[in-house]
Amino acid sequence: MSEPFEPKIVAFVCTYCTYAGADLAGTSRLKYAPNVRIVRLPCTGRISPMFILKALQKGADSVLVSGCHPGDCHFTSGNYHARRRWTVFRALLSFTGIPEERIRFSWISAAEGAKFAELINEITDDTRKLGPFTQYQELQKVIETQSSY
Amino acid sequence: MGIQEQYRSEAAALLSSGEVKLVIGFGAGSTADRRRPLFARTPEEAQKFVLDAACIANLSTYLLAEGLLSDGKKVGVFLKPDGIRSVNILISEAQLKPEQVVILGYAIENGKDVAALEGRNISDFSIGEKIRNLTPPPHVIEAAEKIEAMSAEERFEYWKEEFSKCIKCYACRQVCPMCYCRRCIVDVNQPQWVSTSSHTLGNFEWNLVRAFHLAGRCASCGACDRACPVNIPLRLVNYRMGKEVRSAFDYVAGENSDQKPVLASFKQDDPETFIL
Amino acid sequence: MALFAPVPETLSTQGFRMAKIGVFVCHCGENIASKVDTGNLVKALSDHPGVEICNEYKYFCSDPGQETVKRAIRENNLTGVVVAACSPRMHETTFRKACAEAGLNPYMLELANIREQCSWVHSDKDQATEKAIEITRSLVEKVKRNNELKPISVPVTRRALVIGGGIAGIQAALDIAGAGREVILVEREPSIGGHMSQLSETFPTLDCSQCILTPRMVEAIQHPNITVLTYSEVEEVDGYIGNFKVKVRKKARYVDMSKCTGCGDCIQKCPVKKIPSEFECGLGNRTAIYTPFAQAVPNVPVIDKNRCTYFKNGKCKICQKTCQIENCIDFEMQDTFEEFEIGAIVVATGFQIQDTSVYGEYGYGKYKDVITGLHFERLASASGPTAGKILRPSDGKEPETVVFIQCAGSRDPSKGVKYCSKICCMYTAKHAMLFAHKHHDGNSKIFYMDIRAAGKGYDEFTRRAIEEDEAEYLRGRVSKVFEENGKLIVRGVDTLLGKPVEVAADMVVLATAIVPQPDAKEFAKKIGIGYDEYGFYNEAHLKLRPVETATAGIYLCGACQSPKDIPDSVAQASATAAKVLGLFSREQLEREPVVAAVGEATCAGCWGCVSACPYNAIEQKEIRDRNGNLVKEVASVNPGLCQGCGTCVTFCRSNSIDLAGFTEKQIFAEVMAL
Repeated sequence: MSEPFEPKIVAFVCTYCTYAGADLAGTSRLKYAPNVRIVRLPCTGRISPMFILKALQKGADSVLVSGCHPGDCHFTSGNYHARRRWTVFRALLSFTGIPEERIRFSWISAAEGAKFAELINEITDDTRKLGPFTQYQELQKVIETQSSY
Repeated sequence: MGIQEQYRSEAAALLSSGEVKLVIGFGAGSTADRRRPLFARTPEEAQKFVLDAACIANLSTYLLAEGLLSDGKKVGVFLKPDGIRSVNILISEAQLKPEQVVILGYAIENGKDVAALEGRNISDFSIGEKIRNLTPPPHVIEAAEKIEAMSAEERFEYWKEEFSKCIKCYACRQVCPMCYCRRCIVDVNQPQWVSTSSHTLGNFEWNLVRAFHLAGRCASCGACDRACPVNIPLRLVNYRMGKEVRSAFDYVAGENSDQKPVLASFKQDDPETFIL
Repeated sequence: MALFAPVPETLSTQGFRMAKIGVFVCHCGENIASKVDTGNLVKALSDHPGVEICNEYKYFCSDPGQETVKRAIRENNLTGVVVAACSPRMHETTFRKACAEAGLNPYMLELANIREQCSWVHSDKDQATEKAIEITRSLVEKVKRNNELKPISVPVTRRALVIGGGIAGIQAALDIAGAGREVILVEREPSIGGHMSQLSETFPTLDCSQCILTPRMVEAIQHPNITVLTYSEVEEVDGYIGNFKVKVRKKARYVDMSKCTGCGDCIQKCPVKKIPSEFECGLGNRTAIYTPFAQAVPNVPVIDKNRCTYFKNGKCKICQKTCQIENCIDFEMQDTFEEFEIGAIVVATGFQIQDTSVYGEYGYGKYKDVITGLHFERLASASGPTAGKILRPSDGKEPETVVFIQCAGSRDPSKGVKYCSKICCMYTAKHAMLFAHKHHDGNSKIFYMDIRAAGKGYDEFTRRAIEEDEAEYLRGRVSKVFEENGKLIVRGVDTLLGKPVEVAADMVVLATAIVPQPDAKEFAKKIGIGYDEYGFYNEAHLKLRPVETATAGIYLCGACQSPKDIPDSVAQASATAAKVLGLFSREQLEREPVVAAVGEATCAGCWGCVSACPYNAIEQKEIRDRNGNLVKEVASVNPGLCQGCGTCVTFCRSNSIDLAGFTEKQIFAEVMAL
């Protein structure tokens, strides 16, 4: 590759904490990598594992899932439910060979604009090192039932 | 009197007394070492039941046949501990009423001997401890550990190879007692979460989703493994999920019949070391 | 059973129409246009399927901007609108209104956030433009699948909770109560009054703080609409705007509020007399059974359990023996809890002053005569430990020269806090004046960085301190305070003269920084509001919504939001009262229709959603056939209780629940367009 690889990152965030935190990064004019696309959901409780799979299918090289810190959830416990799902889903992805480094989870409050900006930069840098997630995207080229049958 | 005769007469008694309207058990299969489900509605039919070490299927699946239990009548069913475990899960998920299920319990020991399990109602089987100690066959654990020892890339290649064999026949779903949804997510086309195109991506998605939906719900009966016509080791993923919910949340599916679903409950101090 | 289940009625697209989407790209002056090539954005979106019209304009939020949107909706029969502009948290309401006025359902709108989350955070114009295009495109795909929604009505409980009984809380409570609404005023100290009750005189009028505050305190406790709960703390807040459930812990006072006459005999007789009084900042003492100050409201003492001889040794009970009322003092008393239904919450939890011992060079804690501004207030107060005489804490002598050090913590990123504590310039001038009035030959020298005296009568006030009361202002910082021959030598610099200076002082007063309450962050988490990096509570918008929090129904006033003087605190308190009364002027409240709904045909009745719902909003519903036979039981969402988190949707394995505004179809389309 002659062109430097620009990773595509999709972030699924809750509207009350991380989305507001990302807005704060903006109002504070903090600069961060332009590689992230944010999908706003009401709560981390609404973020389905299917969203992550679809983002990977659409060429995301990394995915960030982020919401309110434990105890801070606008909906009191959506993030606790989300945390359990993440634990399980993460184990599943890891077991099936989808690297844990590509699916990141964080708590970012409405006050943590700086944390948001830093994390996006960090994920962008890390993903640049990991390279594009072609392994997953190329699944669309493997035609079923042809390999061993 | 051997266990087979004992259970034949018990099933017949249940039917003739009218306590149950149906007994689900095993009959002879297409070959000498295979058994197929047998549904007995009369004491005479009950005489055809076979019970031996080849009776490995988890018959609890058939309890969920649509309309079967809606008349409130009881049904008898031959169940191994894994079957009892699935009944526990199904009761906790409100798919079965405990009073409608009469259990003819048995266990296969050393792969050849069949022993009777005491009790008839689910509440008689206080087998929480036993279920906690239930382990899948050693080859499953071994295979799972082998996969865990691989690099992420190797793991991916391994599953890509396996999942590429999938012909989307959904036998794994049909045979699984936990797949009782009236509409499976794979059949949702608005939106089409699971790709139907003829590439492996859809298979990957389907198998991931199924494993996720079974996390903390799998009774580890191995029915999916046996049902798969292309021999994808589906059980490994489910085993790994069970291991995760146990280590992270100390949750063992089907330990009792009043558990809250593991993914619809939480503790404030659940582990979260991976969250930045 | 139908093979293909119909989507819930509330979520189906009412009368399917071919998508005609309008995309409006806002420049926001230069805010967006300088980093995003809006021309390219318009070009890219114009070609996108389903986009009927795509415009750009300098300020779409302006009147003519909104008119453009409205006209476009009418003229093109648009079915959906995407405004690529600022955050939806900023202008979603504005554009929803515009849509509604043009006859389009206001929920057929999405805002593409290309300002806060794009132009303001990226430097490369090409990359920012590419990102803006992708954001906008994915929201066009989302809005195509939006549904026409109607707001939900919920009842409003017209009772307010005010947390904190300082001047801000008292004012808010009085204003709300004065308009005829019930108020629960919770204060964690034994008396209401807050910091203002500790002050001597107040700037810029030099009227006595107690004289103006005490009548307000009495009015509050006597008001028929106000329930004052002192020595109480808010334990739990559940619910939402108009419908909060609040649990209050009433700490055991060991004195029966209903019986005590406030005679004070018990206080007189208490043998434990040498407890440093918190109210006097340690300059005076109090007993173990005590009221914080003489004018306390309510005038009912509490027993300090940690200091009381009886609680420590099991013997004493002198207070009980002294008390002439039977069972008034009760050592067996326990904390009790009370729950309230509340419609709106005013947070007025106030501030603390920073611990100045981090400034070792100022000698605070080392030299008794280096004190804080709050100490000085107590010294100058007629009801204080010296009865209003300015005396040195070390030897009780009258100081000749007093040095005031401003910004002792404020505006100091290295050791203190970054912000300006706002009130110190004024109270330091006041202190100098009070000292001059009480001690005609005394000298005041004030080290300052800037004199910030913006406010009605404020600059005149500081001028008076300088011109009439001869306070000497030295512009510069102090590097060291040390003792020499019984004097406190203050070494600093006069930057206007460009020379180091040394002043031999008898007393040094530090204008310490205002900081949030030590438990401010935990408390914010408990009640569900945001806070900044220091722990001051966040308003919904610094300029335009300064008394609301991001959590609907919770309002802020006083120094818990930022350092504030009395006039500002009171003004803000009245503003919160206006907000609360505005809310209470309605019996019903319109709420976002972002609620879940169940597809009954496919629901398997596993009740996982019931277990997952944080609001117990999901019920079990029986489906019966025409003969009344039970077919099955399914989940059913009570839209009045549902808050729209979507936790149930994600749980549901058969995809039988969906969330209005964030449906599976919408999110799928949004993600697939990225």
